[in-house]
Amino acid sequence: MGPMGQQHAPGAPDDVIRFDGVTKSYQAGAPPALADVSLRVAAGEVAAVMGPSGSGKSTLLNLVAGLDRPTSGTVTVAGRRIDTLGEGALARFRARHVGIIFQFFNLLDDLTVEDNVLLPAQLAGTSRRRARARAAELLERMGIERHRDDYPARLSGGQRQRVAIARALVNSPELLLADEPTGALDTATGQEIGRLLRELNAAGQTLVLVTHDPALAQRYAARTVRLVDGRVVDGRVMSGQAELAADAITGGRA
Amino acid sequence: MSVGTGLTGRHDAGATRVDGGAARTGGTGPRSWLGAVRTATGGMLRHKVQAFVIGMVLLVSTASATLGLALLAASNSPFTHAFAAQRGADVALTVNTAKATSAELASTRSVRGVTAATGPFAVATIQAQFQGQPFGQLTLAGRSSPGGPVDDVVLNAGHWPDGPGQLVLNGTPGPGPGPGYGPGGPQLGSVIQVTGVPGKPSLTVVGFANSITSTADGWVTPGEMAALRAPGAPLSSQMLYRFTSAGDYAQIRADVAAVSRVLPAGAVAGAGSWLTAEARAGGNSAIMEPFVVAFALIGLAMAVLIVANVISGAVIAGYYRIGVLKSIGFTPGQVVAAYLSRVGWPALGGCLVGVVAGNLLAVPVLHKSAGAYGVGSQQVPLWASVVAPGGMLALTMLAALGPALRAGRLSAAQAIAAGRAPRTGRGYAAHRLAARLRLPRPVGLGLAAPLARPARTLVTLAAVAFGATAVIFAVGLHSSLSRAAASQELTTTVPVQIQEMGPGGGPQGPTAAQTAAMTAALRAQPGTAHYVTLYGNGVKVTGIAQNVRAFAFDGDSSWTGYGIVTGHWYSAPGQVDVNTAFLNASGLAVGGTTTVNTGTAQVTVRIVGEVFQPSSEPRLYGSAQTLPGVATSQNFWQVDVGLRPGTNTAAYIRSVNSALGSSSPYAAVTPSGGQFYVIAIALIGLLSLMVAIAAGLGVLNTVLMTTRDRVHDLGIFKSLGMRPGQVLTMVVCWIVVPAVLAAAIAAPAAVALNTATIHAMASSAHTDVPASFTAVFSPARLALLSLAALVIAAAGALLPASWAARARPATALRAE
Repeated sequence: MGPMGQQHAPGAPDDVIRFDGVTKSYQAGAPPALADVSLRVAAGEVAAVMGPSGSGKSTLLNLVAGLDRPTSGTVTVAGRRIDTLGEGALARFRARHVGIIFQFFNLLDDLTVEDNVLLPAQLAGTSRRRARARAAELLERMGIERHRDDYPARLSGGQRQRVAIARALVNSPELLLADEPTGALDTATGQEIGRLLRELNAAGQTLVLVTHDPALAQRYAARTVRLVDGRVVDGRVMSGQAELAADAITGGRA
Repeated sequence: MSVGTGLTGRHDAGATRVDGGAARTGGTGPRSWLGAVRTATGGMLRHKVQAFVIGMVLLVSTASATLGLALLAASNSPFTHAFAAQRGADVALTVNTAKATSAELASTRSVRGVTAATGPFAVATIQAQFQGQPFGQLTLAGRSSPGGPVDDVVLNAGHWPDGPGQLVLNGTPGPGPGPGYGPGGPQLGSVIQVTGVPGKPSLTVVGFANSITSTADGWVTPGEMAALRAPGAPLSSQMLYRFTSAGDYAQIRADVAAVSRVLPAGAVAGAGSWLTAEARAGGNSAIMEPFVVAFALIGLAMAVLIVANVISGAVIAGYYRIGVLKSIGFTPGQVVAAYLSRVGWPALGGCLVGVVAGNLLAVPVLHKSAGAYGVGSQQVPLWASVVAPGGMLALTMLAALGPALRAGRLSAAQAIAAGRAPRTGRGYAAHRLAARLRLPRPVGLGLAAPLARPARTLVTLAAVAFGATAVIFAVGLHSSLSRAAASQELTTTVPVQIQEMGPGGGPQGPTAAQTAAMTAALRAQPGTAHYVTLYGNGVKVTGIAQNVRAFAFDGDSSWTGYGIVTGHWYSAPGQVDVNTAFLNASGLAVGGTTTVNTGTAQVTVRIVGEVFQPSSEPRLYGSAQTLPGVATSQNFWQVDVGLRPGTNTAAYIRSVNSALGSSSPYAAVTPSGGQFYVIAIALIGLLSLMVAIAAGLGVLNTVLMTTRDRVHDLGIFKSLGMRPGQVLTMVVCWIVVPAVLAAAIAAPAAVALNTATIHAMASSAHTDVPASFTAVFSPARLALLSLAALVIAAAGALLPASWAARARPATALRAE
């Protein structure tokens, strides 16, 4: 039983993400960026992670993606404990199981749109023919196939984010992570991207969305995880769905 | 949003802290102005990596510059400077002590024109043996200390004699040490046996020293001298003088005459002047200078290049922060000051450590160069220790000033945009090509990356090219000088010579019996392959005013292996070979004829070859038949001996000497090669190693800087699944294309430099050189040596590549 009265339930077999008592500290003596967070995200779910600046949202995302390591606790993604993996194994894991969409796109300016999308597949060792076919499919799906030979600097923000989404999906990952995916976009474009993400989820893609925009969370996420000062304070399911989060969340109140 | 956490709201540990300064920004008075600058600088210095890179670059560059300047100074009239520093003796007077009292000798100090004098030091000429073999004659002086108002002897190793049985030799310890010493010569602790005196005393070598004019071959305590004087030999002393005027031989003669006048008649037994020593040292100095200067200039050029590249890059990399500073109210002047300060403090630290490092590095290098130049010691001049760090610091400020002034003029928005704008338009084609090639993706990304920063890539290429050129040049020079040494000293073809080493010989040369004994001793050795007797005498040659040294071989000399510059070794009567000095003096060429007056005959000879024998003295080589009158016993020079393959030289020499007997004045020895080639080769190795290391560190610094600039991109690659090994491969590949291009430049440059240097050295030595001396780079060897560029580049890139591979993706992504 957690301090909020929630019941701790064992992880469901189709949990894509599982945090158990995860703490992340950057400096000894300073308050941790994440404090004793436990969390489950099921396959096919869209979870929004919200909180004020400095609450630990990006830290949580980094730990899910294996871009950083927890100070304590365990992190299991796609059925594999990743907190104990070495850097090489983490890189392989990321390439195959996790796609990441960044707020500022993080495209490589020296590469064409197509080469940007191909890169994760090439790093994962996918054959040239299969990788190109998959890239072509994704570019068409994102509606930017005519920009395949352009460089990111020539694209609008929305187009760049579409490229980033295509890149994130090229290896067909179980999990898609989006860090403020509409934060650098105007409202209309942001809504377009939001719709795109919802379409992906409708097709079965598991999605974790970090956002400070409650409207985005409400519109596209089935569940919201609220962080304040590194702790989960609310993991409610949105829009009248069952309070499934109560089974899956522990952690003290801020 | 807070500036302190970066515009994206992300945590950035290196962000500028400007809280206190910002309040005072634009405030009145210099204190608030400086306070803002100081605060901004303090925040910027928290960028430890960049401060480390700047400090490291300046350390290496300042050390290189200090060493380069020291070498240039050392090569500039080394004898003249050493002569002044060591208070060299203008004249060394040998006096018969039986004819002049100590008081009379002391009175010579006040002779008009004498500015300083020291002595009298008892002197004696001994017959020496080392390791059971004749070691020649040594003139020893008894001195209680090395210092004095004249002839300040510099101790290079060990200590001055302070007890009986101790000896300090003039020169440097082996192998191949000192004038007159052969390979494997005396070291500290070696024992020299004195023969020809009662008791055959032994002297232990306790030190090596340098008298700039070689006033003695060695020194012992004054009390030792009595035991070293051969029975019947005159009591001699040495007085050393410095004069007001001693610039030429005429003045020297006048000075000696002035001193002789106050001494009893017949007291002066001989006089040696500094001019002879200068001529000998000047030859070596002139020969050394080309390659020492070449290395010094390479080191300096590389230092300047690397500093300019890294410093300007460091400022340009800070444009985003400059924009942030301006956005909170920093004036352009404060921005410039903050950035000059940012690079200035670590640069100053690097310069200070670098000048110390340069001085320390110079110790072994200048020790070697002093030996090669034949001077006691050389130090880093004070001005070099000031100019090198001062120059590097000035260069740093200059390299930083341009970009800092430009940044100061930019608006805040422009500076931020310049710092964060994507690099457009550069390297696109290379990346497209790399993407199409069927290379592993990290390799393709790494190979194409340098084209995005062409200026930095060019500088890195230049640094690697300099380093590789130095390495290839050094290897070539080593080979060239080794061939020159073997050719000049005939060390491989004539490993044994029989020379007059002890008493019982004399101006009449070997008797018939002694000659027969030598021949019998050689024939009795199974290791004897060839031998020929060499005679030498002065002859007159038409068209040459000075005496020509003629060498006549009595027997087959075709095996002796003299280096042929042009033509061939003589093979028939009437043919001779000459050295370059002969051709220069006579105006003749190979194929020409001339008339030689040997004293007993006048013969016409044809010059069929020019031999490699560096000397300002014209020389001529022919058969005894071609040069009648030269091959007489009183002109006996030596017997050259060639050995069968596999023969142990030392054992052979012992066997021959055993056959000749210890009473024979003639003995077998190994040829006495000078230390010049040994020291020159050692110096080359040391210098090239330093230049290569400096080049590698230059590459390390630029790759480190590039890695830091691209750390965000590295984070992206890692987030997309690039493994640490792939990151390392990619970063190392950044340097591959520049390294390959550098190799393509370095190889021909080194070949040209080696050829030019050898010819310059030969010219200084008054000789031409055989083509084989510069043909030391076969295509296969050159290709292999060109790998030096790749090795230097890879070695320099490996450390930052490892760092990049190990960095956490989240940390890298947070970087701006």
